[in-house]
Amino acid sequence: MNFGKFIERLAQLIPVLLGVLVIVFSMMALTPGDPVDIMIGDQPISAEQEANLRHDMGLDLPPVERFVKFLGNAITGDFGLSFFHRRPVLDVIAERLPATIELSLFSLILALLTSIPLGVLAALKKNTIFDRVSTVVSLFGVSLPGFWFGILLLMLFAVHLQILPVSGRIDYAYEVDAVTHLLLIDSLIAGRLDTFANVLSHLFLPALTLGLPMAAILMRVTRTSMLEVMSQDYIVFAEAKGISRTSILIRHALKNALIPTVTVAALETGSLLGGNMIVESVFGWPGLGRLVVESIFVRNYPLVQAAVLFYAVTYVFLNFFADILYTVLNPRVKL
Amino acid sequence: MRDHHITFLTTAALAVSVLITTPIIPTQAGELRVGYTEDALTLDPANHRKRTTQTIIRNMYDGLVTRDPNMNVVPQAAESWKAINATTYEVILQKGITFHDGSPMTSEDVKYTFDRLTKDGAVGGQTSPRKSLVGPLKEVQIVDDRTVRFILSDPWPQFMAFMTLHEVVSKKFAEKVGADGMSKSVMGSGPYKLVKWNKGDSVIMERFDGYYGGSQDLKPVGKACSETVIFKTIPENASRVAALLSGDVHIINDLPPQSVKQVEDNANTRVMTVNGTRSTFMALNTQKKPFNDVRVRRAVAHSINRQLIVDKILGGKATLINGILGPDAFGKNKNLPAYEFDIAKSKALLAEAGYPNGLDVTLDVTGKDKDAGEAIASLLTKAGIRTKVVVGESSTLTSRFRTKGKPIDGEMYLTSWGNGSLDPVGIFVPTHRTNDRGNSSGYSNPAVDKLLDAANTETDRAKRADLYSQAEAIVNKDLPKVYLWVAQDLYGVSNRLSGWQPSSDGRINLHDACVK
Repeated sequence: MNFGKFIERLAQLIPVLLGVLVIVFSMMALTPGDPVDIMIGDQPISAEQEANLRHDMGLDLPPVERFVKFLGNAITGDFGLSFFHRRPVLDVIAERLPATIELSLFSLILALLTSIPLGVLAALKKNTIFDRVSTVVSLFGVSLPGFWFGILLLMLFAVHLQILPVSGRIDYAYEVDAVTHLLLIDSLIAGRLDTFANVLSHLFLPALTLGLPMAAILMRVTRTSMLEVMSQDYIVFAEAKGISRTSILIRHALKNALIPTVTVAALETGSLLGGNMIVESVFGWPGLGRLVVESIFVRNYPLVQAAVLFYAVTYVFLNFFADILYTVLNPRVKL
Repeated sequence: MRDHHITFLTTAALAVSVLITTPIIPTQAGELRVGYTEDALTLDPANHRKRTTQTIIRNMYDGLVTRDPNMNVVPQAAESWKAINATTYEVILQKGITFHDGSPMTSEDVKYTFDRLTKDGAVGGQTSPRKSLVGPLKEVQIVDDRTVRFILSDPWPQFMAFMTLHEVVSKKFAEKVGADGMSKSVMGSGPYKLVKWNKGDSVIMERFDGYYGGSQDLKPVGKACSETVIFKTIPENASRVAALLSGDVHIINDLPPQSVKQVEDNANTRVMTVNGTRSTFMALNTQKKPFNDVRVRRAVAHSINRQLIVDKILGGKATLINGILGPDAFGKNKNLPAYEFDIAKSKALLAEAGYPNGLDVTLDVTGKDKDAGEAIASLLTKAGIRTKVVVGESSTLTSRFRTKGKPIDGEMYLTSWGNGSLDPVGIFVPTHRTNDRGNSSGYSNPAVDKLLDAANTETDRAKRADLYSQAEAIVNKDLPKVYLWVAQDLYGVSNRLSGWQPSSDGRINLHDACVK
């Protein structure tokens, strides 16, 4: 890949991010609701104390001035104090981020590991009972709302069978030294298989809930694209040459068929972050998604602004990453 | 090669299934878990404004005073208190109170605690958001090691009621760790010590063996019963209920009324209730037609069968109110007449007000109150007040209805106001005084304002109660709001739990709670 092109693509991200900042700031500023009122709730406060609180939060300034100040600080990496935690928002976000990353990555892996083999199999066994059943199952996968499916899983595995925990990331009896802050990896680094198992048991249901719609979509995409590739001339040619079926499948067909899967997977990984908001609430998962939802409700402007910017950066980079992956999978595609 | 693949896959599949089905570690004896709707925002008692955060913190920090099960203010770390005059209160500390590091609690710590709450920039450059919860407190004077005097700039009879909202911190520790340290570590004098705070997930505490025993008025006095206490954050209602049913937690707060039966039917769990402090009402916009006419407002009240809604939607777990104050509040007028459910009367009032054919109105509700809102709307519609329900988000509706004097954008708003202090000043004043912050009806009656203002500084308890009682009689007639009910707070608890009672102020004090 051309390094100049790479830098050019990176530079294109700047206006996108700037746009995101403007949109997030304006949306939060235009949404009715006053953080000071929400914070005080039903408790008494004098007008003077209310004004002081407003001043502390920087809400006594007009919106334009607030935006300029916010932008100036954001460029230096300062997103201000969370109104309600009364600490820098980046600290609050950093505490919650590993849980979200771990859940998203695990869901992604779970989805990829199931969807690609099943998609290929469905393509190879086109119009058989397996193909039809998988179509129906994937339709369910896409259609089941996360909050409902999650609660259903909870009732089955946690309440009735009692083999999986209801909420949280790890049981309190287990401790693991934080290296990556991803507990699965940290427990492996520490060589603690019992801890690993405990973390996995906590991770499994949320990851299944989060990963299922993604797996369903990826499976359909892989199936379609595999069918298309398998009807290409070069596959017929390869078959005529007498190359083994496994070799054709893996070396010739799958590599090309995966290009759309990669695109969709990259986009869907972005939506995993969105889906997290619901799944994290259902499973009491201490991640960023839940924090953002709570923050939106209480108009915690600084935190929402920083978190949405983080989502935007992640999304943009995932697309960027997908573009680069194309060039690897198909050298004819250039950045 | 193929066989190897199969062996590998089989082994992997087996390993995964064994791993994920490893039995959950059962709760240890003496370990009490609470499934709680929210995590603490901070562990610093001076730097938040959240009742849920205080509920968690309060198990590690004691205050000078607290409340007994009947919501009376009783001494906690204090041995006694007295009002020297209308603006001076003297508090004497119990002997032998220590913080978790073994250092004694003295007057210095008390003064430092309240200076931190009242002085600008005292919390690491920030001003405590709890400043308004100490009223007109001017200064704290140290008389001796165990005696302090609180000097107010103006008389404020509810001072001691508001003192239940504050916890004493260790001066030595707070100065050592600073505001940042205070936000994530604890050096209190409460029954439990902090073990670990997994942010967003749980707060783990263990019994403090050097505990002085707590309030002498609340038996048993002594160390806490449970060895370990865990507040687990489970925001989703259904998941919190699932955690209780599976035995993962022993207490859950905010049990949704629709899950009451499920918890009652389970052999291992039960429901506990306590009178809440949150009054639910329907605010009517008195600034413009049609609700600027008291006859229309009364017609609305006569059209609603409140008991039916309480029975069908709140599972019968609420008390009807005819004024703004809940049954346990100070100064409650117990002789207020009820607006009985009477459609004929309602129709007659409407006709008299010039609406013989009824009228069309909109009722704004939040998602939480949607069911009750729809029930009210259908009753009103039957009585000729054709009501459309619009579900909105709480913060948006607040800014439309609680306008502090500006025109209200809406007609009817089903909402509520909490009164944790159980003093009318926390609920009556904000919701009914002209242009006050919770006045969602745009109501203004100089006679009510005068009574509320007089009560605010009246130091004679009986006279003060009477002033509120008079004011409540007026608003019951004026009806700027249709007063509906105070719902009970519902908790789901495990049958293994003993020694714990829910409290009207919403706190979950675990000092006496045990798990078998």
